[in-house]
Amino acid sequence: MKAVYDRFGGPVFAVSMSILGEHGLAADATQQTFIKAWRAASTYDPERNFGPWIYAIARRTAIDLYRKRSRLVVSDEVDLVTFPPGLETVWEVFEVRSALDRLPDDERQVVKLSHFDGFTHVEIAERLDIPVGTVKSRSHRAHRRLVEMLKHVEEA
Amino acid sequence: MMTPDEFRAQYLASGSADAPLDQERLDLIREVLADGATWAEPPPHVADGLLAALAAESVPALSTVPERGSRWPLVAAMAGGMVAVVALVLSTISVLDEERDTVVAMSGTELEVSASGEAAVRSTDAGWWIHLDVTGLPPAPEGKYYEGWVWSDEGEGVSIGTFHLRGGDAPVVLWAGVPLAEYRSIWVTLEDEDEGPEASELVVMTGRIPEPAEG
Repeated sequence: MKAVYDRFGGPVFAVSMSILGEHGLAADATQQTFIKAWRAASTYDPERNFGPWIYAIARRTAIDLYRKRSRLVVSDEVDLVTFPPGLETVWEVFEVRSALDRLPDDERQVVKLSHFDGFTHVEIAERLDIPVGTVKSRSHRAHRRLVEMLKHVEEA
Repeated sequence: MMTPDEFRAQYLASGSADAPLDQERLDLIREVLADGATWAEPPPHVADGLLAALAAESVPALSTVPERGSRWPLVAAMAGGMVAVVALVLSTISVLDEERDTVVAMSGTELEVSASGEAAVRSTDAGWWIHLDVTGLPPAPEGKYYEGWVWSDEGEGVSIGTFHLRGGDAPVVLWAGVPLAEYRSIWVTLEDEDEGPEASELVVMTGRIPEPAEG
C-alpha cells in the first residue's frame, strides 16, 4: 500500500483539499479513501486505469465528509444536502497533480513558483540563485512535459 | 517554427501567447496550477495512520486470510505493477495470544490521568507488533494526533505509528522495527500536525515492558 500511496497520495489529498478546503478534514478523507480502496479491491478491474478508480473513491469520500459537516436539517423530514463548490474542476486537480508529481523536482519547483507563487522568471532565478536562462529552460521542459501528460485532459 | 505542443506549452507557461485552439482547456489547467489545493501535501501522519489502520483492520479478519491475501497483490497490480506491498500486513497475526504476547500496562500521565489500558507486544517476522488498547484517552483535537514511541533507557525514541481515536476507542496496532529488549518504554505523545517529526513533550501515556520480549 505504501507504493500505491506514494503514487496517488498527493493527487488524492489535492482532491480532498479542493473539496473540503481544510487540512485536517482532507487528511481524514485521504486516509478513508485508501482504506475504502483496499476494502473494495475485489471490485477493481485490473484492465482499467487505477487513477480514475481511486479518484472516484476520493471524490465521493470527500463529498460525504463535506455533507456531514454542512448538512442542514430543517425538520425531521427535510434534510437539505449541500454540494461543495468547485466540483467541476476536481478531476482536473487530480490529473494536474498527478502530472506534477511525475515532474523532476527542479522543474516542479519552477512551475510552482511561477503558477502558484506568481513569480516571474527573474524573481525565480533570484530566489533559487540560478541563472535566468536555467529557469527558462526548466520552465520550458516542464510545460512541454505537462502538455504531453495532460493531453487527455485537454481533449476531454 | 513551433509545433502545436510547443505552442501549447508556451501558452500554458505564460498565458500570453496567441490563443491555441484548446485555449479554454489550457486556461483551466492554468487555473488549477494556481490553486493551492493542487499543491497541498498530505501530513506525514496520514501514511503512518493508514498503514496502522489497515494493519489493525487485518487483525480481526484472520478467519478470512485467503480473501485478504488476495487483496494485496491486486492493489499492487492496480498501481501498475508496483509490488512493494508492506510485509507487515501480510504477516498472519491473530488477536491477542496469551502465550506469545507480552502485556504491558499503560497508564495516563498527569496530562491524561483518566487514560489507562494495555499494550500487547509480540515479535513477528515483520517486526514488533504492538496492540494498544486504551480507554479514557479522548480523541485527538483537530490539527493534532497521537503518536506511539518506544524509548530506550539511553533516551533514544523511535516512532511506532500515529493515530487520532476520532472514531472511538478502537484498539490501535503499532509496529516497531527496533529490538524491544533495548527499547523497553512505550510512550504515547500528543503531536501537532504543523510540528516536526521529533516527539513532543506532551506525553499522555506511558508503559514499561516488564522483561525483554525477545522473539
